[in-house]
This record gives sequence, C-alpha cells and structure tokens, in this order.
Amino acid sequence: MVAQLDPTVVDRNTTLDTLLQTPAGRRLMTCIQCGTCAATCPYGEGMDFSPRLVINMLRRGFLDEVIQSESLLRCVACYACMAKCPRGIRLTDVLLPLVKEQTLVQQSEIPAELQKSLQNLLRYGNPMGESPRKRANWATTAGVQVPLLAQRQSNGPVEVLWFVECYTSFYARGQDNSRATAKLFDALGVDFAILGNEEKCAGDCGQLTWESGLFETLTAHNLEVFNKYRFNRIVTGDAHAFNAFRIRYPMYGLQAPVEHTTGFFARHLPQLRPLLTQRLDRRVTYHDPCCLGRAGGSYDEARALLEAIPGVKLVEMVHHRANAICCGGGGGGMWLDTYYKQKGLERLSERRVKEAIATGADVLAVACPYEVSRFEDALKVVPHDRPMVVRDVVELLAESLA
Amino acid sequence: MKPIVPKKHEPVRIGFYVCHCGTNIAGMVDVAAVAKYVATLPNVAVSRHYKYMCSDPGQELIQQDIRENRLNRIVVEACSPLLHERTFRKAAEAAGLNPFQVQMVNTREHNSWVHTDRTEATRKAMALARAAIDRVPHHKALEVKKVAINPNVLIVGGGIAGIHAALTLARAGKMVYLVEREATIGGHMAKFDKTYPTLDCAMCVLSPKMASAGSHENIHLWSYSEVSKVDGYVGNFQVTVRRKPRYIIEDLCTGCQECVDACVYREPKFADEFNLGLGKRKPVFLPFPQAIPPVTMIDPEVCLNFKRGKNPDGSHTVSDKCKKTCVEACGDRKAIDFRQTDEFKNITVGTIIMATGFKIFDAKRTPFYGYGIYPNVYNALEVERLINASGPTEGDLILRNGQRPKKVAIVHCVGSRDENTNRWCSRVCCLYSLKLAHLIKEHTDAEVYNFYIDMRTPGKGMEEFYNRIAEEGMHLIRGKVADVYPDLDDGQTGRLVVQAEDTLTNKILKIPVDMVVLGVGLEPHPDAENLRRMFNLSCSAEGWFLERHCKLAPVDTFTDGIFLAGCCQGPKDIPDSVAQAGAAAAEAMALIDKGHIEQEPNTAYILADECSGCKSCIPLCPYTAISFDETREKALINEALCKGCGTCVASCPSGSIVQNLFEDEEIFSEIRGVLAPVPA
Ligand SMILES: Cc1cc2nc3c(=O)[nH]c(=O)nc-3n(C[C@H](O)[C@H](O)[C@H](O)COP(=O)(O)OP(=O)(O)OC[C@H]3O[C@@H](n4cnc5c(N)ncnc54)[C@H](O)[C@@H]3O)c2cc1C
Ligand code: SF4
Ligand code: SF4
Ligand code: SF4
Ligand code: SF4
Repeated sequence: MVAQLDPTVVDRNTTLDTLLQTPAGRRLMTCIQCGTCAATCPYGEGMDFSPRLVINMLRRGFLDEVIQSESLLRCVACYACMAKCPRGIRLTDVLLPLVKEQTLVQQSEIPAELQKSLQNLLRYGNPMGESPRKRANWATTAGVQVPLLAQRQSNGPVEVLWFVECYTSFYARGQDNSRATAKLFDALGVDFAILGNEEKCAGDCGQLTWESGLFETLTAHNLEVFNKYRFNRIVTGDAHAFNAFRIRYPMYGLQAPVEHTTGFFARHLPQLRPLLTQRLDRRVTYHDPCCLGRAGGSYDEARALLEAIPGVKLVEMVHHRANAICCGGGGGGMWLDTYYKQKGLERLSERRVKEAIATGADVLAVACPYEVSRFEDALKVVPHDRPMVVRDVVELLAESLA
Repeated sequence: MKPIVPKKHEPVRIGFYVCHCGTNIAGMVDVAAVAKYVATLPNVAVSRHYKYMCSDPGQELIQQDIRENRLNRIVVEACSPLLHERTFRKAAEAAGLNPFQVQMVNTREHNSWVHTDRTEATRKAMALARAAIDRVPHHKALEVKKVAINPNVLIVGGGIAGIHAALTLARAGKMVYLVEREATIGGHMAKFDKTYPTLDCAMCVLSPKMASAGSHENIHLWSYSEVSKVDGYVGNFQVTVRRKPRYIIEDLCTGCQECVDACVYREPKFADEFNLGLGKRKPVFLPFPQAIPPVTMIDPEVCLNFKRGKNPDGSHTVSDKCKKTCVEACGDRKAIDFRQTDEFKNITVGTIIMATGFKIFDAKRTPFYGYGIYPNVYNALEVERLINASGPTEGDLILRNGQRPKKVAIVHCVGSRDENTNRWCSRVCCLYSLKLAHLIKEHTDAEVYNFYIDMRTPGKGMEEFYNRIAEEGMHLIRGKVADVYPDLDDGQTGRLVVQAEDTLTNKILKIPVDMVVLGVGLEPHPDAENLRRMFNLSCSAEGWFLERHCKLAPVDTFTDGIFLAGCCQGPKDIPDSVAQAGAAAAEAMALIDKGHIEQEPNTAYILADECSGCKSCIPLCPYTAISFDETREKALINEALCKGCGTCVASCPSGSIVQNLFEDEEIFSEIRGVLAPVPA
C-alpha cells in the first residue's frame, strides 16, 4: 500500500509544470486508461474529468480545459483511485492536489463555506474560526490531568507529544474523543503532554484541497513549536493530521516518529486489555478512515482494539478495508457539503451510513474526528429501524475501562 | 587436413585479427592503429583488421594465414566469445590447428559499445589485445572429451505440453519417464469444455493423446508422483521420483470403479478437486471419467479406514475400522492396498524437459471483486467446469443458488497487468474470456458483458474469433472493473453490481448481474522456486523458468540438457505450448541422436604429488565433482562432473589444483599484458 512519500518520487516544490520530470510524473506516462480510478471514485459520476481523463488531458496538453472546469472540486482525497490503480500512479497525493490547486486558482468564485474555512485557518489556525486561546479549554473537563508541554517540570523529553487537532479541541463530540484519549493515556500511565494554544491545524486538508501556501504557513508554525520541545514521538487521534505528519511534514524536516492513537493503543494492547473490564454488548461495524486505511495501510489495529473490548461483536460493511467508501470529508469535502448539494451530488456520508445500517450494527465505529459529525448528521436523514450511534474507537475503549 | 603437430621448441607464431564488426567496433576503436600496434609485439607474425571476421572470407583469412605463415596461435579481437568462440575455434581446427590455441578478445561488449571516447577506447583495445598476445604462448593443445549420452528422457509435468513432448519422443523410439504430480495427466486443458479459437471440444482432441501417452510402450507414466532429487549432468542425470501412495495398485486396477459404487459412503460427500470443489466425490474415486491412468485412488484424509490427520512425516495410519466394502467389491483383482507408502524410484536419463505449467491467480488477492465472499463470483476455470458436460452440473450452467444466470459479467485482467498483483499480461485470458462469453450465451442465452482494458487477440485466427464473438452481440466494454458488490435493492437472489467506467463514453456503469466471472491470470507455481533449485534452473523475476535466449534459444535453459515446454516458461495458449513441446523434444533428440556430449576441456585436475589431502576443496565444489581417494589420501576431480568454475583452484592451500585454459602462467601473463603501457 501507499508508503511514505519519498522525496525522490516527488519533492515539495513540484508543480504541474515540473511534474513530468519527476519519477512520479513519469509514472503518469504509463497510465493504461483502464478507468479503475474513475469507476472506484465515490464521485466519479459527478466528474467531467475523471482521474483517468485528467491524465490523458495532461499527456495531450489539454490540461487547461480540466482546470477551467470545476470537476476536481469533487475529489475528496479518499485514496480509492490510487489504491486500485494497476499502474501504481500517485493520484491522490501527487497529481490530483496539484490540479485541484490550479482549479481553485481559476475559479471566479470559491464555494462560500470553503472560502470561510480557509480564511479561518489562516486567521485562527482552525477551520471553525474559534478563538485559538480556547484551544485547550476542553482539558479541564477531561477528568484526568492533561499536562501542557510548556509547563512540564522534568527536563527529559516527554514520551508522547499528543497533537490534539481542531475538531477534537473545539467540537463537543470531538472533545469526547479527546477526553477518552486522555483517560486511556492516564490509565496506561503514559508520559504525555499537549501543546495547548500553541498548536495549529496540521493542514492536511489544506494540502489535499487547495492551498499549498496555506499548508506551508501552518506547517512552518507547527514545526517551529515542535522545535521548541523535546519529545520522543507524536501521537494524534486525527487521521488527517496523521497523514500530514507521515507524508508531508518530513519533506519540511520533521523526523520524529508519528503514530495514530489506534496504532499507539494497539501496540499497547497487552497492557490495555486487562483494563478493559466493562462489557459492551454491542454489534459494532468499523469504518476505515481513508487516511488511516488506504493511505496508511492500517486496517487491523482498530479492529484488534474493538475485538479486545469484552462483548463487542465486529461486523463488516460491504465496502471495508481497502475498499471502504469515504465519508466525504477529505480534501476539503468537509466544507463543501452545501456545494455538493447544489450540484445534485449524494452526500457520501449518507451512502456510507446506509451500508452501516445494512449490517444491523448498533455502533458505527470510526477513527477520525471528521466522521463523527458527518455520520451523526447522515443518520438524522437516512431512515433506519434499529438505533445506531457513532463512536470513535477510543471512546469505546474508554467506556470499557473500569 | 593433416593436423599441424607443433614441433618441440618451435617458435610461437601468433596471428592477430581485429574485427570492425561493421561500425560496431570500428566506429569507436581505431582498428588500423590497433593492428599496427599489435604487429610490434613479441611473437606476432601476422596482424590484420578486417570488416567482418565471422564471415566466410574472414574465417578463410585466418585459415590461409595459418597455412601460409605457419601460425600456431590465433587471437581474434571482436565480440563476445559467447557468440563466436566456436566459430573461430572451428575455423582454426579446419586449418589444422588445435582449437584451444585460439583466444578471443571481447572489444565490442566490453569496449566499443560502452565507451564514448575514441582515443581511450582504442587504447583499451590495445591493452586487451596485448593481454591475449602475452597469454597465448602458454596455451597447450587440449583434447575434447566425449561422454556417452543416456538416451532416456524425463518429462516433468503431464499437461498438454508434457504429453505432446512425451509422445513425440516416444514415437521416435526414445524411452520417456512422464512424471505427473496429480492423479491424472491432462493438466488444465483436461478441464476445459471447448478451446478457442476454433471452439472444438477440448477432450475430443486431448483424450486420444492422453490415452496413447498412457499406453505407449516407450512411456513410463508415473502419475501422482514428484521428482525428489536430481544429480548429475547432461547425458547422465540421476533422478529420484517419489511415487505417492494412492492406495490402489495401478497394475491391478482395471478402472471398473466397482469400489467406488461399493464404498460405505452411499453418496459423494467430499469436495472434488478436479471440479475445483464445485462437485462432490467419495473417499475412493476416479479423478474424472477420462482420467489417465484410468485408475481410482483413495483419499486417506476422509476414508474411514484411516485415522484422521497426517503423521508428522506426512503418512497416514490405517485404522482398519471400516467394513471395507470397496475391497469386497474389488474381489480377486486385489487392487486395493491400504498399506501403500511412498515408493522411491531411481532412474537415469540423459535429458530433461520441464513442462510443469502454471497455476491460476488466486482472486482472493483482489478482494474488491468479491471472490470467496459472494457465491455468485466464480473464476474462469470454475466456469469451464460448470459448462462442461462432464462437470459437476453436467454442463448445465446453474449457479450455487440453483438459478440459471440471465446477466453475466466477465472481468478481464484479474491478477494481470497490475502493479498490486502481477505485472505481466497473461496472454490467454482475453481470448478465453471471449470463448466463455460465447459458451455462456450458448448455454443460457444470458446477456454477457465483457469488461476489458485492451482486447489482446494476437495469433492466427484470433482476431477473426474476436470478430465472430462481437458479432454474436456480446457487450464488450472498455474499462477495468473497479468494484463488485451486492445489489442492495435485491436481498434475495444474490445479484451483484459490477462497477466500471466505460472509457469510450466516459460513463460510469453499474450493471446488475447474476454472475461474475473473473478472468484470472496465469502465474508460476508456488513451488517453482524449489524445482528451480532442484534442477539448477534460472527463473525470471516473476518466477517463470528462464529460457537461455528469448529469441534464439527459447526452449533451452542455462543448464545443458534441460529444456522447457509450455506455460512453465511463461503464459501461452495451447497451440504455442504444443509447438514449444515439439521444439523441446527435437532439442532433446538432437542431443540423444548425436550419442555423446562434447566436454569443454577447461576442467581442473589435481597434481597428486602436491596434494596434501587436506580436503578443503571437496565441500567447495558446487558440482560435487571432487571425491577423496582414501587409500592414496588424495583428492580427485571427476572430469565429467567438473564445470570449470575454478572455485577449487583458488582454494587449494598447496596450489596443487590446475585448471586447463586457466593455468597460473596463462592468467599472470594476461594480467601483466593488460597492465603493460600502451601507446598514447
Ligand atoms: C480458464 C482458462 C481457459 C483457457 N482456455 C484456453 C483455450 O481455449 N485455448 C487455448 O489455446 N488455451 C487456453 N488456455 C491456456 C491453456 O490452459 C495453456 O496453454 C495450457 O494448459 C498449457 O499447458 P501446459 O502443459 O504448459 O501446462 P498445464 O496445463 O498447467 O499442465 C502442467 C502439468 O504439470 C503438472 N505439474 C505441475 N508441477 C509439477 C511438479 N512439480 N511435478 C510434476 N508435475 C507437475 C500439473 O499437475 C499439470 O498436470 C486457458 C487457460 C485458462 C486458465
Ligand atoms: S487507474 Fe491508474 S492506470 Fe487506470 S486509468 Fe486510472 S490512473 Fe490510469
Ligand atoms: S482520491 Fe478519491 S475522490 Fe479523489 S479522485 Fe481519487 S477516488 Fe475520487
Ligand atoms: S475403506 Fe471404506 S471408506 Fe475407504 S474407500 Fe473403502 S469403503 Fe470407502
Ligand atoms: S490477455 Fe487480456 S485479460 Fe489477459 S492480462 Fe492480457 S489484456 Fe488482460
């Protein structure tokens, strides 16, 4: 599956003009126009220029037509096309963001919701426009100590720098995730600390959406903060931040190992398992987040954690693991719901939730903070007989703690 | 021609020839300057450059010089000795010189082709020439040894390729051992209903060949057997074959199948391998009606007369718990033997043909096609059985749910042309997918959709076949299937949706179908690596057995006396497999009918007086050519086994091993020569 982006494959300064000179660009020349990418794309039907066609337009010198259309605004950076491409072409992390960026530059009008989030990110370091000074306020409600790195007494490096991220800091349902993570760290006796108000959005969606300039601003800020402190690893519960730290940040100098909370807790399962004493007699289906699954190759960790919870019965949706359907939140999709609706496109979260309902599960487990609100909203409109709740894997784990 | 016998102390007289090779060499090397320089070197009597040394006039030039100038050493500076060493040795021999007085210098592959500076390349050509000029005075006249060749042939694998090669050799009077791993020969072809491009019945053409292979007096057919050990060399391979127990004595079984009818299991109950698990068989069974040999076998895993489970050594323990109605039915024929164990046969053969074929791609490796998840997803080989009159449904194409499909999707390139699975094009699946489209339509009148990336139909009659199928009204859609999933609107019949882009209309298609057929690709057997090691073969990166030269030696291997036929060398169709099998048989015959093998005299020998008997060379020889003479306490090299690799020579602490053509003085002179200063 998709490995760490090797700077020899493409470097951060690659543009559409220089792409064909890079190894990733030369790969494009091998595209056999099979259409797997188009057919697997959740919004393939809504694109005038599917990834397949983008490649051929590029190879023939007609890319301008693609850029002038809005086609690529429908790409939710879900990595589905890239995972199945028989030529191993780096669509989601190389070609498509480059084309998408140019597409947005060309638009006379950027969808308002997106525009707003973009401005918020630049101004406040979070897409919802919340005050950056309130970023760590949730921590007082955690029920356990959540130390700030800046206030750390000990001189040695902290074991875990926990990068909390935006949704998990400001949204009520996101904070549930943070509180659960804090409890789990505490129960395991992990030496951890957060950055508090110094943290800004990691910028993954910025990169995969539109604005590499914005992404670089956020990256520069976060790296500068990282450089102030000593820590052994970064752990984050946000699958998108995880993606950015794993793939993009190393191009700007990040060297520390990075883990997603599911990977971290799965690694500590021997210590964690005895603590999971509360039975949760639930049928659970797990939605693979794109940035964790297809992009990161992590499918088993979350499942192992769920199965460690006494009483949990894991059931799979029709599309799962590498074939999972995106919640629609990536690549800026989080702020394009209104736009997609205007264009008559089905909300992907609704498509996904239908599959979850069909499993007969009572819990839809997720591992990315975008998904909680997206799926909870979708469940409000998709009819279902059995009640279904959306829970992050860490929330379920915390619930099972004594 | 009377051989020139070098007189004792006759002065060395070298003829030197540098070849232009058109512009291949002369384009980068100043050949005239090289010839001029070499003329000044010691012992050189003649020094020339010529346009094509390998041409008839080129060879004639050498021969004339040998005669007229009494030359007794020849150095040809040209291409790789792999190409023309034989040519020049033969030319010199024809003029009466011992062929091993000829030395070649490779100035093309090692020089003109790889350099860009003409002056430097010319100097390199001079240095290389000098090395050879200094070397050849030490050359000795050597003799080519002839070793008799064993005329018997081993053929590994009894698919169409192995069968065809066996029959060809048997007809020519050669004794063939045909070793087949499964209980019957026939390979994949025996499972097909019809074959493209002619749509003739596969068994109608194959079963007569299988039967004659089974009954031919020159063929020892060992089915349910595997090669377990190979020793020796071309002309004289010692092979051990393991005959696995089938618990039926082949010579006594008449194939009446009365044991099958009499088995305590009234109904067939166990997954039937030949039908890929789509049908059922009893513990005692005939693999399929036309099996060759037509002999039943007993599966000890399920037969009541055996204890469950294998012993650690793979054998099974008899329990004697069953009533053994089969034995009763067999009666006086006494063909059932529950105490059979592995039997090892040792044979000697002169040549070997590998014909182990392929395995189909396991479609579970592309989980988004739903194979092994949704019952109505089949691989192509399973469908071959389903439409086959001798298959589990007697040719009635019905699904696992008992329904006859009305809409069928055939997915091309499953496990082919894909970086995530196998990168190669499997070559036969486009055509067999078209064949299956036709047969499915013929059997069920279903709508058939073929999803392809590129329709590859090369070969005689194949494009016409494609045309014919298109005319029959198949939906041929250019787009690779990306996803197969259950139709949510249909909870009942197991209908599936096939999703692909029609790349010629830019439309995403979601076609509900009753059956999905996966056009799985061909891959090497998982145990090809073991065979490769056992037979000392080479494999391509993908794991196919490697031919010696892709164009000019397509059935030879890098091991003398071992040839390749059929799909073990790479994916191909039946016509090509058969053609290759014929070629492999002809190559084997060419060796056998010559009667002997000529051995390159570059072998090593031990100077017994100097050997200290330390034995350090013995384990090092990769060809186990060195033994130890216990009475004399000296090591001894079997010339017939020695391949001239030189490992022992370098290892001997007392320097008592000498290798012909690579004697110390030859090599040191060559090194001194290459390092000697050359004109700027
Ligand atoms: C679904 C399908 C449909 C096809 N339809 C057609 C068609 O219509 N027309 C056409 O021309 N081609 C067709 N082909 C291609 C055809 O199958 C091959 O060209 C042909 O089978 C090659 O023959 P083979 O003898 O090389 O290999 P195989 O048929 O694979 O036979 C190899 C034999 O060697 C045996 N073996 C393997 N390993 C060992 C071992 N270690 N020791 C002893 N024995 C061993 C095997 O058991 C087997 O019996 C089709 C292929 C497939 C997959
Ligand atoms: S899946 Fe890959 S090879 Fe196929 S059309 Fe898309 S980019 Fe090209
Ligand atoms: S990344 Fe996902 S949304 Fe974007 S083009 Fe590929 S499949 Fe479509
Ligand atoms: S021993 Fe018994 S079970 Fe086995 S084949 Fe004979 S009758 Fe059938
Ligand atoms: S023959 Fe056709 S189906 Fe088979 S791999 Fe080649 S292109 Fe694909």
